[in-house]
Amino acid sequence: MANEPKKKRKGANTSLVFNNRMYYFLIPALAMFLILWVYPVLQLFYYSITDFNGINYDFDFVGFKNYFKIFENGTLINSIGNTLSYAVVTVILSNLIGLGIAMALNTKIHFKGLFRTCAYFPALFSAIVVGFIWTYVYMPSSGMIANLLSMFGLDGTAFNPLGNFRTALFAIAIVEVWKAFGSTMIIYLAGLQTVDESLLEAGRIDGCTEWQLTRLVKLPLISSTITINVILNVIAGLKAFDYSFIMTNGGPGKSTKTLMFQIYEIAFDDQKMGRASAFSVVSFFVIILITVFMLYFMNKREVEL
Amino acid sequence: MKAKKVVSLLCASAMAVSMLAGCGGGGGSEASGTSEAKESAAGAEDSAGSGAAPAASGEAYNHEAIENAGDITITMMVSGVASDNDFETEQLPALVKEKWPNVTLEVTKLPDDNYYTSLKTKLASGECPDIILAQPMYAGSNACYALADAGYLAPLNDLDALGNMKDLAAVTYDNNVVVCTAGVSILGTYYNKAIFDECGITAEPATWDEFLDACQKIKDKGYQPIVMGDKDMYVLQFGLYQIACNEIYAKNAEYDDQLRTGDTKFTDEGTWDTVLSMYNELYEKGYIDASQTLGLGASQAITEFVDGKAAMTFDGSFNATALLAEGSAGAFERGYFPIPSASGDTCTATCLSAGYSIYSGSQYIDECKELLDYWFDGSSDVWKAYLATGKIIATYGEGADSSPNYELFAPFVELLNQGKAYHWCNQAWPAGTESTMEELFSEMVGGQGTTVEDITSGMQDKFEDLLDE
Repeated sequence: MANEPKKKRKGANTSLVFNNRMYYFLIPALAMFLILWVYPVLQLFYYSITDFNGINYDFDFVGFKNYFKIFENGTLINSIGNTLSYAVVTVILSNLIGLGIAMALNTKIHFKGLFRTCAYFPALFSAIVVGFIWTYVYMPSSGMIANLLSMFGLDGTAFNPLGNFRTALFAIAIVEVWKAFGSTMIIYLAGLQTVDESLLEAGRIDGCTEWQLTRLVKLPLISSTITINVILNVIAGLKAFDYSFIMTNGGPGKSTKTLMFQIYEIAFDDQKMGRASAFSVVSFFVIILITVFMLYFMNKREVEL
Repeated sequence: MKAKKVVSLLCASAMAVSMLAGCGGGGGSEASGTSEAKESAAGAEDSAGSGAAPAASGEAYNHEAIENAGDITITMMVSGVASDNDFETEQLPALVKEKWPNVTLEVTKLPDDNYYTSLKTKLASGECPDIILAQPMYAGSNACYALADAGYLAPLNDLDALGNMKDLAAVTYDNNVVVCTAGVSILGTYYNKAIFDECGITAEPATWDEFLDACQKIKDKGYQPIVMGDKDMYVLQFGLYQIACNEIYAKNAEYDDQLRTGDTKFTDEGTWDTVLSMYNELYEKGYIDASQTLGLGASQAITEFVDGKAAMTFDGSFNATALLAEGSAGAFERGYFPIPSASGDTCTATCLSAGYSIYSGSQYIDECKELLDYWFDGSSDVWKAYLATGKIIATYGEGADSSPNYELFAPFVELLNQGKAYHWCNQAWPAGTESTMEELFSEMVGGQGTTVEDITSGMQDKFEDLLDE
């Protein structure tokens, strides 16, 4: 009995490649994740119940007062409204333009590489550069668009999209689309290149028109690519900050104040770091909720397709 | 299973340790940095507090501190964008080295937003540079009152250079001068003399009515009277604060202090309602065209002015170089005047400009004071180089009256010397009040149905909210 070999316990890790000792290698990555992500997020929750002003560490706890305040004065509702409008415009336009151009550039045409490069070109610039250039494109009276309008005999002086309360948000959303559609297009191109040519051929033999091929073969086959692009654009749209900051500074009035811009303003202009933290916590949940809902909805659509 | 348990236990321990280390580290550094700073400030406060007048306080700092220090490195952080042969990052360290070969001055210059973020981080971690740039009163994220309240600034009452300086109330906190500043900043109206001449305006307007008449004459000649970059809403402050000096502070210099005690309110009749109505009149009469300016940025408005497309613009002395530059309209002559008051007894929005503070946790406080005294003595090589930058309007010292553009600013300095100068409103308000004013005013001139009463009550609500801690 004494010499009987030890029985291996049920479920014991006997892998020669990934044995239990390999788990130790998780520790550095886990530690970095905890220190650089989890801890700051927990601190955000902590500051959200204080009156910390970003300078003086002698702050007090104020309970949920910061949360009540952001709901009280309407800033949250205004910024959520602006953010959602911005996200809807950027998601729809980025995907339509990105998909359209990807389909066009997936056909056999001359200079395909050059056109693909040109379409991706805006994505290479930083938001600061793009925002700065577009303020001159939109400049009233003497901007590029105003001059073009005047050249065609239209009233260029009346063109002032950034100075108009109704159009400013859409004007900056278009800039975001101009910069982002290239990245969206690249992902669509990758998706379209996975569509098996034999399926398209079979469709053609069955008498499908190009539109039917697109609608009934290509789109269902790239549905997971559509999901990725929509979700990425939704997240980018909900985190909108750059162009509100660079091009309009939230104005005119409050018309282009997005969630992120509002947080920045409360934290660094009003110096209410505690309230900005509360705003961030609420925004965090709003973005998570919308993203989860979108993911659920898109996955369901994928299955239906 | 056992191994898994050990690994999960290890992971959990790592998580707990890292979190505790994070908490402990933050707390520790906070404790060390902040308490060190506070102790130092408290100590310095004790020594300065006994003197009757700050500048004449009993104990003087060690005026031989640098000479006795051996080789030292003093660090300094300022905001701005470094230019060729930049004063702070190139000339100043070289001149300091020339004067004291044992001192190395390391200067970091960061764009404004980076500066604010970096300053907060460094203060929180107790790693703040020895000398920092601070703003008067409550202005901005580096407001000296907020920094002094947190105990981060060393009192400078024993600086010899303070004797030269003008009224330092805006940089004095709890009877301690906490910022060393030699210059003033001005808000005024730049104008195109060629257009004024063409429109038959022979003298600068002396009353509000004359100002409106001048605007009408310019408009009748087909020129845009005033251009503003209202897309960058902060420029609204440039005109409003000038009017506020005339219509509010000239009548009650304590108005802003009383706002904090509740004795005055933004909603009081004859105060901000008057200021906002007067400024709005310029938009209503088309002297400032909101349909254009709301889409025009600050730098674009400056370009319009130097290109001769508008006769006037409200701006500060800090933008003089850009506003005096040659545009497509050539090198036309430019003038600068304060917006006149309704009564004709005009005041100016001229305030102390940003200056230099010493971090209370610095180990070289006396050395920094000796350096600042040399810099601001009114005659040293550093002083002359500082003035030659043209970025400050000095109120004392050699070369103060021959600095670039001094002629343009001289009438404002004269008003300052007559006691007819007041601080910029936002310097006395908790940061953020002015943003509400700008937002609501933009809505009003942008036709969103906002009224003057909405603006004043919005400002009052925001003011009370920001003070409510």
